[in-house]
Amino acid sequence: MIPLLRAEWRKVTTVKLGWGMLLGAMALAALGVVAQIASNGASGNIALPLSAAATQKSIAASASSAYLFSVVVGIILITTEFRHFTSRPTFLIEPRRGRVIVAKLIIAALVGIIYGVICAALTAAIMAIWLGALGVTIGWIDNGVLLSMLSDLVVIATFAIVGIGVGVLVRNQIAAVISALVYLFVLEPLIEIIPVIQKAYPYLPGAAAGAITGASRGNLPHLDALQGGLVLLGWGLLFAVAGWMLMIRRDIP
Amino acid sequence: MSPEATSIEGRIVATDLTKVFGQVKAVDGLSFSVEPGSVTGFLGPNGAGKTTTLRIILGLAAPTSGSGTISGVTYAHLPAPGRTVGAVLEATSFHPGRSARNHLRVFCAAAGLSDKRADEALELVGLTQAARFPVRGFSLGMRQRLGLATALLGNPRVLLLDEPANGLDPEGIAWLRGLLRHFADVDGRTVLVSSHVLSEVEQTVDRVVIIARGRLIYEGRLADLEGASAGVVVRTPTPEQLSAALAPLNVKVTGRPDGAVAVVGATPEAVGHAAWEAHIEVHELRSGSSSLEETFLRLTADAGDPPAAPV
Ligand SMILES: Nc1ncnc2c1ncn2[C@@H]1O[C@H](COP(=O)(O)OP(=O)(O)O)[C@@H](O)[C@H]1O
Ligand SMILES: [Mg+2]
Repeated sequence: MIPLLRAEWRKVTTVKLGWGMLLGAMALAALGVVAQIASNGASGNIALPLSAAATQKSIAASASSAYLFSVVVGIILITTEFRHFTSRPTFLIEPRRGRVIVAKLIIAALVGIIYGVICAALTAAIMAIWLGALGVTIGWIDNGVLLSMLSDLVVIATFAIVGIGVGVLVRNQIAAVISALVYLFVLEPLIEIIPVIQKAYPYLPGAAAGAITGASRGNLPHLDALQGGLVLLGWGLLFAVAGWMLMIRRDIP
Repeated sequence: MSPEATSIEGRIVATDLTKVFGQVKAVDGLSFSVEPGSVTGFLGPNGAGKTTTLRIILGLAAPTSGSGTISGVTYAHLPAPGRTVGAVLEATSFHPGRSARNHLRVFCAAAGLSDKRADEALELVGLTQAARFPVRGFSLGMRQRLGLATALLGNPRVLLLDEPANGLDPEGIAWLRGLLRHFADVDGRTVLVSSHVLSEVEQTVDRVVIIARGRLIYEGRLADLEGASAGVVVRTPTPEQLSAALAPLNVKVTGRPDGAVAVVGATPEAVGHAAWEAHIEVHELRSGSSSLEETFLRLTADAGDPPAAPV
């Protein structure tokens, strides 16, 4: 297993893919923090004052938006193998396909965690400087800000794993990335507002992620953080197992 | 073939291999074997099923029926496949943004080899100068060399190369020939090289496995194919009688895969006369083609039209 993990890690670090995606994730996280702090107290903004625990947790949850990038990174890590046929030497050297896919899942989760740590650190830095300048104390522990950031990591890593599963299922890189983004940006919000099926909404991956980090949108009843966490991990497991099974059964291109 | 014979170290065996893709029967009941210490050409026109056969033997694709083994076991059951078998399936298995050296290092890590092997393999295929450049800028010939370097990382005793001469210049082909002959003759390794052009590998291989439309057309020594190519081709319902009738002429009579008989060492007139004297019914009698390439084209064309395009 160690040789496979080293090989998969090298695949990540020897191409440029990572940097662009990471910058995107950082920009989105920073945007979330800045927007929430800047708009706080503006007319029409119903958010509680900056000193409130709920507000601080919500600002900290900005880092979790990196999951939009980590799911794409997961997809790219696996579909790149099919696209450029590096799947061939990979499975020639290790024909036990289950092991390869497990190594891939672990490395994808690790990349997700690294993204998460960097985005959380960026979020924390902006919060500390800006709120400090405004004279607002941050309850890192008391207000659950750190905990919120830790749960961001879980969300981001889980979405990287989901990305691997989606990539194995769809195989075509562009199609897989587009399906994932269309699902998250269009389909899931649609399900949220269609009366008959909206009951299922809280159990969907994006909504579960929102429940964990406290970044939940809308005013439907949603799951609490622990329930959301369990539901999201369930999705991660489902995609990991589906990817694993398909990888073992189907021919390698 | 007895089980002991199948499990000879380094021998590649395909047994009644069939692979169906939707409507297309890419490989159709194919059986052949490839011996250690020889370079075997795996020949057939484009779409004949060469790549598919290799993918099955290498465990990348599952056969619809039949089996492919190396050293008597399926690929997945080889103890350390990364160190016993090296293979290249078309020269396209690289991430364009990764350097040649990093590409090899990825697979050194996977196979548990030291990174030194990456540089050694680059040296062996003459890519040391290009080691740090991304593969994006590589010519087809350089990609072939890098593919070969990947296959050679684990110092394998069995090599399977799919169209390795594609994109190599004549100098590169000569270099490849020397390398493969060395592997087979000096090291006693098993080498299987596919090609859709016989002339590309003609000077490299000692044995050939020729397929068309997924079926075996000819398996044996290239020298015997040459024998079968010259001389006279006779089609008769009673080949044994013909053989007997030709015995006094001191000729070599061999059965051809298409059911006809090839006679080497006599003119068409002499063969026709001998048949007539012995009252042997003859349905066809003609001169065999002269060049090996012609023989190859005829053998593979006889097998019928190429399979339908994939759906
Ligand atoms: N993955 C696939 N799906 C559908 N058809 C395929 C696939 N791979 C190969 N084929 C078809 O199988 C036949 C044999 O192809 P291939 O093994 O690539 O031949 P060769 O390598 O001898 O050129 C062709 O008709 C090809 O179109
Ligand atoms: Mg081919």
